[in-house]
Amino acid sequence: MSMTLYHGEPNGPSLTVLATLIAKEVPAQLHYIDLARGERHTLPVAQQPLVAMSIEGEGPVLVVDGEAMSDSVFIACYLDDVGQGAALRPAEAYARWETMRWCRQMIERTAPAAAYLGCRAHPPRADAATLEQIGSVDLRARWQQITAGQFSAAQLADSRAKIHQAVERIEERLADREWLMGAFSLADLESYAWLAGMPALVPEAFVASARTAAWLARVKAAPAVARALALARSTDPAASWSVGPEINRWG
Amino acid sequence: MQHLQKEGVGLMPSVTLYHWEPNANSGKPMLALMEKGVAFNSRYLDLINFDQHKPEYLAVNPQGTIPAMVHGDRVLTESTAIMEYVDEVFPGPPLMPGDPRDRWRVRWWMKFMDQWLGPSFSMIGWSVFVGPSVRSRDPKELEAAVERIPLPERRVAWRKAITGQFSAEEMAESRRRVAQGIRMLEQELSQRPWLASNQYSLADINGFNLAYALPLSQPTLSNDDLTPNILRWLRAIYARPATKACWALGRTSLVKRVTILEQPHIGGGQVA
Repeated sequence: MSMTLYHGEPNGPSLTVLATLIAKEVPAQLHYIDLARGERHTLPVAQQPLVAMSIEGEGPVLVVDGEAMSDSVFIACYLDDVGQGAALRPAEAYARWETMRWCRQMIERTAPAAAYLGCRAHPPRADAATLEQIGSVDLRARWQQITAGQFSAAQLADSRAKIHQAVERIEERLADREWLMGAFSLADLESYAWLAGMPALVPEAFVASARTAAWLARVKAAPAVARALALARSTDPAASWSVGPEINRWG
Repeated sequence: MQHLQKEGVGLMPSVTLYHWEPNANSGKPMLALMEKGVAFNSRYLDLINFDQHKPEYLAVNPQGTIPAMVHGDRVLTESTAIMEYVDEVFPGPPLMPGDPRDRWRVRWWMKFMDQWLGPSFSMIGWSVFVGPSVRSRDPKELEAAVERIPLPERRVAWRKAITGQFSAEEMAESRRRVAQGIRMLEQELSQRPWLASNQYSLADINGFNLAYALPLSQPTLSNDDLTPNILRWLRAIYARPATKACWALGRTSLVKRVTILEQPHIGGGQVA
């Protein structure tokens, strides 16, 4: 089986997949692309429908025997299935439901908010020729708005509220545990990947959240995460952002 | 109400499903349970009557979203995550493929339908069905009902549906997405018998809940001439005994539209 992972800086969706790949000891060729310059759209597999129409926005692509896979949490589930070592999802069905539901909330509510705030603070830059290659009309529209510096006050406020809510959920969850699902899991990776850059951008959300602060440090120090972060080309990967998932357009 | 009682299931804790019609999110766990042959207590909540925001249901699911499943003493929400749970915990035919890459494809499609295509179908459905269904009621009573909705974003969605305030741009974008989604489904279904793998899976259950009335609701975009693979797929799912039993639970005209699939051929100019 031949596997190539195209990934960006270890933050957001690239971090989830890189850390999972490392934790599960999956042999794959790593190929760096600058997601913040839209380089995903220049890949030979960019126009495969399940890449072009991924609603994650700019994330990594794993190519396995010619099939290009997108959507970081589901790539991570795949790697968890095929890799070695400790499982990154609990074995018991109810706990797995909790993990998938937790990740879904991160995907749907936290990721769009974090990417929106991240892109405002650290704007991605793609040239017009690259933007033209973007297969998804709505992703291209988000790129155009972000590169034009058009951020809506309402969506910025909503995004900050979503980061507050995510931290509140994590803080509550950690009342009786070190990791979100008991043992270190995909829920920790996915949550950390989107929140690592948020203390710098929404500091007030973290003020009264000592458990969350300690958990962020724990995840960062976990061996697979530390090794993924060591692949960074910038000094602060948590400040590296590209266009993310759409903010829910209807309730 | 008990469905499809099977031997051996009696040893498992009881299952109660709170649901609306076999349609969209409610229909996903309904059909998954029925495909697995799991008996469940059916608790029908009338969405149009705002049953899902009444105290009896908020005691089960404080967020007031449908569906919710109670298994023993555990409450589960989020229809797609519930389906994966149902598949893992109960005996019966597997609804996730064995190959890990196939499982990735199942999840990719479910997310795409849940978060991108589904809301567009839903905006159109609410503007033509849910909105008009509730609009004739007393405005004060409606406003009080909306005020009881726990999630602020759902309050916004309901207000828009009730007052018919989806903007022209929003509706146009939803129609664009529906058209593109139909092209993508047709393309994918031209490659294999089922949506995400060579075996019937949760992606098909999810997709049927979204698309079962497609040749009726989008006759110029989906019919036997334009999208033969989508029609083949919908008819194959409708032919399954579990689907028939599930859709028989429907009470509204919305769900009875499924009988369009009984027509042997739906041509491009036939349904207007």
